[in-house]
Amino acid sequence: MQNLNVFAPRLLEKAEAFSPGHRACIGCGEVLAVRLAAKAMGKNLIMVNATGCMEIIASQIPNTNWNVPWIHTLFENTAAVASGVGSGLKVLMRKGRIPQEEINVAAIGGDGATLDIGLQALSGAMERGHKFLYICFDNEAYMNTGVQRSSATPFGASTTTSPAGKNSFGQFSWKKDMPAIAVAHNIPYVATACPSYPFDMIRKIKKAQTFDGPSYIQVFSVCPTGWRTAGDISIRLGRLAVETAVFPLYEVENGKYKLSMDFPKLKPLTDYTKPQGRFRHLSPEVLAQIQEKVLQKYDELKAKTALDEVKP
Amino acid sequence: MVKLTIDNKQVEIEDGATILAAAIKAGIHIPTLCYNEELTPAGACRLCVVEIVSEKDPVTVSSCNYPVGEGMIVSTTSEAVIKARRIAIEVLLAQNPNSSIIKKIAGSLGIEAGRFTIGKDCSHGCILCRLCVRTCQEVVGLSAITFEAQGLERDNNGAHVAWDEEACIACGSCAFVCPTDAVTTVDEGDKRIIQTPTAKMVFALKACTKCGSYYAPEKQLAYMAKTANLPLEKFDLCMDCRD
Repeated sequence: MQNLNVFAPRLLEKAEAFSPGHRACIGCGEVLAVRLAAKAMGKNLIMVNATGCMEIIASQIPNTNWNVPWIHTLFENTAAVASGVGSGLKVLMRKGRIPQEEINVAAIGGDGATLDIGLQALSGAMERGHKFLYICFDNEAYMNTGVQRSSATPFGASTTTSPAGKNSFGQFSWKKDMPAIAVAHNIPYVATACPSYPFDMIRKIKKAQTFDGPSYIQVFSVCPTGWRTAGDISIRLGRLAVETAVFPLYEVENGKYKLSMDFPKLKPLTDYTKPQGRFRHLSPEVLAQIQEKVLQKYDELKAKTALDEVKP
Repeated sequence: MVKLTIDNKQVEIEDGATILAAAIKAGIHIPTLCYNEELTPAGACRLCVVEIVSEKDPVTVSSCNYPVGEGMIVSTTSEAVIKARRIAIEVLLAQNPNSSIIKKIAGSLGIEAGRFTIGKDCSHGCILCRLCVRTCQEVVGLSAITFEAQGLERDNNGAHVAWDEEACIACGSCAFVCPTDAVTTVDEGDKRIIQTPTAKMVFALKACTKCGSYYAPEKQLAYMAKTANLPLEKFDLCMDCRD
């Protein structure tokens, strides 16, 4: 991955599809990711937005932050609505009611709307092969309703429904591997991204739109409110999650795995967990257990990429 | 403010803006390869041609550097425009038959294979759009990239772009902006390798004094320290280790 953090940002598109003035918390990593994603997807776009933070903060009547056509849906039918929009456009073009042109359809949702409630509709839409891009903004719990655990919450994290205390150390199950579920649908493109690496994220979203079929991108979004972190370290936390291999960045193109960035030496997990209030209660034994699992998952991923690596 | 009509759509835009800017504002798509809103227009790729039909003698102009006029009527889909655009993309396709973005634009204009071939090796991928030259000059503030072979020596199938390795700070902006990936940059260990159409340049990366990760080219940091008038020690730590 290229480290182009000084001059290249000025060459990015200046028009904002997601305008400023929203009501997100200070230091929100998710809204930054949404802004970058909207920038990357261009103007010819219909956006389907599941219920969640990004819907609440951007659409308080009579205001909106979206400069593109935008539909709010329920938790469970986001992907179904997106596939319907795509099919509707196809029919309208076939009947000559609208001019033939490329209109992108994108669906966005949080981890709850994607991994838990909307999984069935998403699975169906991916299986039917509609051309749409689904972006999951993964902040690892139901943040909008007050930090309830979801299946994306990492092991050991304290939330209001998996509280840490005398009889519990927080979340009791391991994080669901949603990109692997998406890969199992044999869709053309699956990727993970993080707004701390904006060029990588923009490149992946632009690439996802070029495939003629469903594509899925999981975006790691730091949530200072729910993770009980300081608002000014969101970007750094995103980088730490990647550098400790808690959230490795990779892409899967037609079933072929490719790591976006590899590190000669991973940082220790405690670098990532220490600034976060949701992990503060964890004992060294549990942390060691998590560290072991993280490394094991990363090794599995590296083994997959090694298999698919094409030597030049 | 100036009012004009593009493809039967009314657009209002400030005086001095270009037709392309007005079209983007109106949501009308015009293909481009050498345009970036941050840079001065070059009019090199000729894909953005439009026809000004309100002139007494309708003219075909490149929209990226043609200023708007009051009451102008512009067409982006007229016969003359499509013809000019098709020839432009066919020439580009002959220069660079493997580029995916050129193939995509050609496909959208209904061209599978161009009529022209150059017959020489054009695997360098450069289409002489000057984006990298303008970026280095206007965004980075250096002129490490220049055009060579001016005037009669210039032909359309050579990569007449030269990087000055002394002046280059290895920031990689040219690789980012290049539409055909003729310039690429890769970080390998403690080295940044910039592959230009004609040469391969290797630059040293600086290691963070605290965590040891290589985070930016040494020459870029020296340039930033100089322009920001800061001591070089300010750049000893990487972004994660800074407070």
